[in-house]
Amino acid sequence: MKLNIDGLLVYFPYDYIYPEQYSYMLELKRTLDAKGHGVLEMPSGTGKTISLLSLIVAYQTTFPLEVTKLIYCSRTVPEIEKVVEELRKLIDYYAKETGAKSNFLALALSSRKNLCIHPEVSSLRFGKEVDGKCHSLTASYIRAQRHSNPAQPVCKFYEEFDAVGRQVPIPSGIYNLDDLKDFGRRKGWCPYFLARYSILHANIVVYSYHYLLDPKIADLVSKELAKKSVVVFDEAHNIDNVCIDSMSVNITRRTLDRSQANVETLQNTINRIKETDAAKLKEEYKRLVEGLKEANVARETDVYLSNPVLPDEILKEAVPGSIRTAEHFVGFMKRFLEYLKSRLRIHHVVQESAPQFLKDIFEKVCIDRKPLRFCAERLRSLLRTLEIADIADFSAITLISHFATLVSTYSKGFTIIIEPFEDRTPTIANPVLHFSCMDPSIAIKPVFGRFQSVIITSGTLSPLDIYPRILDFRPVTVASFTMTLARTCLCPLIVGRGNDQVAMTSKFETREDFAVIRNYGNLLLEMSAIVPDGIVAFFTSYVYMENIVASWYEQAILENIQRNKLIFIETQDAAETSMALEKYQEACENGRGAILLSVARGKVSEGIDFVHHFGRAVIMFGVPYVYTQSRILKARLEYLRDQFQIRENDFLTFDAMRHAAQCVGRAIRGKTDYGLLIFADKRYARADKRGKLPRWIQEHLTDGSLNLTIDETVQLSKHFLRQMAQPFRREDQLGLSLLTLEQLQSEDMLQKIAQIAQQA
Amino acid sequence: MASLSEEVLLVVKRVRQRKQDGTLYLMAERIAWGPEGKDRFTVSHLYADIRCQKISPDGKAKVQLQLVLHTGESSTFHFANVSTALKDRDATKELLQQLLPRFKKKANKELEEKNRMLQEDPVLFQLYKDLVVSQVISAEEFWANRLSLSSVDHSLSNNNKQEVGISAAFLADIRPQTDGCNGLRYNLTSDIIESIFRTYPTVKQKYAENVPHNLTEKEFWTHFFQSHYFHRDRLNTGQQDIFSECAKQDEKGLKSMVTQGVKNPMVDLLALEDKTLDEGYGTAAAPSTSNVTKTLRENSNCAIIKRFNHHSAMVLAAGLRKVEACSDQTSETSSTDGNSRDSDLFQPPLKKVKLQEAIEYDDLQSDCRRKPISLNLKKSDRYSHGPVPLQSQPYTSSQDILNSIGVIQHEMKSYKPRLTQVMSSSAASSAITALSPGGVLMQGGSQQTVNQLVPSDVQSELKHLYTAAGELLRHFWTCFPVNTLFLEEKVVKMQSNLERFQLTKLRPFQEKIQRQYLSANLTGHLEEMLQAAYSKFQAWQSRRMTRKT
Repeated sequence: MKLNIDGLLVYFPYDYIYPEQYSYMLELKRTLDAKGHGVLEMPSGTGKTISLLSLIVAYQTTFPLEVTKLIYCSRTVPEIEKVVEELRKLIDYYAKETGAKSNFLALALSSRKNLCIHPEVSSLRFGKEVDGKCHSLTASYIRAQRHSNPAQPVCKFYEEFDAVGRQVPIPSGIYNLDDLKDFGRRKGWCPYFLARYSILHANIVVYSYHYLLDPKIADLVSKELAKKSVVVFDEAHNIDNVCIDSMSVNITRRTLDRSQANVETLQNTINRIKETDAAKLKEEYKRLVEGLKEANVARETDVYLSNPVLPDEILKEAVPGSIRTAEHFVGFMKRFLEYLKSRLRIHHVVQESAPQFLKDIFEKVCIDRKPLRFCAERLRSLLRTLEIADIADFSAITLISHFATLVSTYSKGFTIIIEPFEDRTPTIANPVLHFSCMDPSIAIKPVFGRFQSVIITSGTLSPLDIYPRILDFRPVTVASFTMTLARTCLCPLIVGRGNDQVAMTSKFETREDFAVIRNYGNLLLEMSAIVPDGIVAFFTSYVYMENIVASWYEQAILENIQRNKLIFIETQDAAETSMALEKYQEACENGRGAILLSVARGKVSEGIDFVHHFGRAVIMFGVPYVYTQSRILKARLEYLRDQFQIRENDFLTFDAMRHAAQCVGRAIRGKTDYGLLIFADKRYARADKRGKLPRWIQEHLTDGSLNLTIDETVQLSKHFLRQMAQPFRREDQLGLSLLTLEQLQSEDMLQKIAQIAQQA
Repeated sequence: MASLSEEVLLVVKRVRQRKQDGTLYLMAERIAWGPEGKDRFTVSHLYADIRCQKISPDGKAKVQLQLVLHTGESSTFHFANVSTALKDRDATKELLQQLLPRFKKKANKELEEKNRMLQEDPVLFQLYKDLVVSQVISAEEFWANRLSLSSVDHSLSNNNKQEVGISAAFLADIRPQTDGCNGLRYNLTSDIIESIFRTYPTVKQKYAENVPHNLTEKEFWTHFFQSHYFHRDRLNTGQQDIFSECAKQDEKGLKSMVTQGVKNPMVDLLALEDKTLDEGYGTAAAPSTSNVTKTLRENSNCAIIKRFNHHSAMVLAAGLRKVEACSDQTSETSSTDGNSRDSDLFQPPLKKVKLQEAIEYDDLQSDCRRKPISLNLKKSDRYSHGPVPLQSQPYTSSQDILNSIGVIQHEMKSYKPRLTQVMSSSAASSAITALSPGGVLMQGGSQQTVNQLVPSDVQSELKHLYTAAGELLRHFWTCFPVNTLFLEEKVVKMQSNLERFQLTKLRPFQEKIQRQYLSANLTGHLEEMLQAAYSKFQAWQSRRMTRKT
């Protein structure tokens, strides 16, 4: 249908629309008009993606000069592919309605592992191997060597692309990962480099967060993207952790040992080259005097991780003299390594800030701040000069150089923690230096600064005000949308007690309590008897799940559950878990029914949807607090308190609740779907917890379902399931949660829609 | 009565039945009892007829065993040998316990099958009523032909029938009970054994290897329950244990399952992440490098979890595993590692389909059209041409067909009626009148049809008569050519059946319609059919007479 969103003609590729979709598009339009950033929360399964795409594509076609590009960031590869497919649907609809073939170019970009078509390289299993192998075939000096030595193997797909691929732009259309590969095979071009080249002029780019947030990759891939782009972070409830992860470094003794070996190799290579080709090193030196700008004309194929810090002014400076020659630099790195080693030789925990660290290093080994800042850049240049083929081997020294650069660049927002041993095993020495980022805004700042509109959206962003605070930006719109429902298809229940009235909670003091574990078991057992098809249960941590499973096994609770359903359990091994997941779906599919025991914050809870019969009930055992004893977390909480005035408890609860919401939200993926959302912990009933759940769950949480016993839960669930099993037709929804164009245009409907969005 | 070749499995002397001493024989297919000193059995039951056996409780003075038949009758045997009564009885009981289930299934299946056929087919049911209930032919005769006739679709329907899956908790059903003196008793039923075998083919293999050459069945299961294999926390599987190999094989199966990966790209956790952080980056603590830190308890917890996943996968696979696939060598590997699905070569389409499914909003679309089931062809060429005989024969390829269609189309386009050579209009119209109802050529059709003339009850009766007669005649005609003694007997019997049918069914009907003044030739055709059969019979009989003389 064609919609009129605040004066903008929007093609929407369906015949019906959810009211909240309309409302969402209105808010989005306002954000784009204001050229500002937005935070929008809308439950999953209400067609968030298609609303986003419809509006932004319409905006792009109407105002081609205002918005030139949409950069859509999602989290997982399947998500990325889903977005592209939805986009394809939209563009097909455009073509059908307007009759003209649009000249839209949209493509997905992923890592080499997902895009490589080289027969040998693509057969490798791990991303890192693929990257390394690719580099050994396509690096600039390898290709240069080929001129003198034709026997040198190169990748014919890249050669072909390099020869002709750039002249003719890729024909307009929608390219998913597989389409890119097909296209590459047809033309004999490398799809990965084709995609990386094409994102510069594509109208829509879909890729993962890292290409924008991780400065090491972002600099390489996304540097030249136009300023007038709209950036969307979908499923962004975890964005702060992604930012932090990309800026944090851990150094163990093993890292240092390997770096040591790397330095030796560098030294030997330098000596060898000096004998044969001293000119090369001289040339490098000259280049470094002129500044890094030259060195920075990075050849796209070189997979050296780029400099982790972005500030341009550094790049304009000349590399300090003390590390300009290769030998000096290697000597410098040796010194730095020795220093780090000495720091790891400790017996008690040390925590210090970056300036303290710099002061100490200057006092002890006379290393200045300035050369440290250039470490990463200098190493990159050296590796290129020395024509090191296998970059993967040098990951350790690269890590160290990044650490050096980061620690000398940022004086705030980071902390250094050196732990001599793990908390659980105080007898085994395993020193680790954590250089930990505490401020997610550091990594995302360039994104907010560079692009005119950044939209952060997800099904679970509550409480909405916290994201702008921790990411340090000022949004023009902050809104939460509920799910309009013709029938209440979600049934959140808080189970606080067992039938024996013993409180159910995963609180640290009582979590090992026999009665609590038994009650949890009974809850699962009772639910397994009444819920059809699939049940997913989440535990707060992996260790906790292991313990509970073991005691359930000893108490023969699992045996009794097996009478009702098959049991599958998430393990720490991803391949094994995938297998279990597939079997789980198979068991749901063929009517046997199954239970999946899983972990909050685990891979399953983050990336797998349990639509319809794959998840008729989700049980959240306990409140998924993060492990609070970790020093890194403590440091971060302290930082949050000092910098953003967020109290520790508020943040911890917020973090726990967003993960809980994320877990239970896995089961509801649309209005025709239905599911029980069971929170098995009495603490959920408290106002501070409940209030942090997303609005679309809170709304259906009645006072009557706050502190239930297992029996009451079973009764309520039975009632709910019986109601939901009744046929649900379109007519039931129409006019309430599903609208035709005429209904949408009526006056009172528009008034109603205005209430859907709740401004924070 | 007893054929000599029957195999006698057990003989128990001094067994009383109705206060008479005698001997009890357990044979391959029946149980029989004969009184002392006589060489015939006064009691003889086929195992298939026995519903169950009951024994007197231990400690009772009389040691008895009662057999209850399907018909409700029962016969009681009293084991009278003072010293060995209990032993005798137990031996009998044990043997019966093994034998009965085999026959029970067979008997039940047959009965069920008959019942099913009658219920599904109302015509057959009517026929059954007409012929068997009114005792024109006996039930055996009726079924003898039916069952063999339907054996084709019978086996088909058997295949189509859903196999009963396995309860996931079958191991839990074996509740160990303490027997009072530091021992455990496990109760195994044949169902549980079946479940174990189906779920763990390796155990079945072990069973086949060891029983009965090395171990008795009992010993085998004792070993099984003692083994670490049965117990979930399989940590130290000793070498002497015959099941340690099974455990290893399971491990291997699990591994291969894992390495095979998953077919559905949406659940592949390995491919989920686009770009993982390099080693050393991130806040998550690096996985501890040493496994030493793992305590024994954690390890056993891990093992339990693994074991549950494996068990569930195996149970799931066992439910889907086809019986014939097990015998198939090629599928052996896939069936023992718990992977139940055929390897499909169509990975990209599957991915496409899953993606499409994931982005579908069926309530936003205007019409939820049913997705057609796509035809899955291994060789599309064969589909379009049909099976082709092996010998070289000029066969038309699709190109030829297309060409000829093209030629025909061309001809059609250029078709021009030759108006000079058509029939005159008067001749045409007269032909049409002749062919219209009431015309010269439609004389036969001018009769009103039966359903307009005859009341419906008579109609339905006539229908029944037709089916019954048809059935009998079918029986009759299938006897020809009469080349065995059995068929000879049968044809004579069928002849008499036909006559009886004519007498008891057809005649009354004829009289009835005469009373109602309906045209008598309603049954004319039936009579004709019967006459044809009679004359065939006469011819056959006279020929036989001449041959005999």
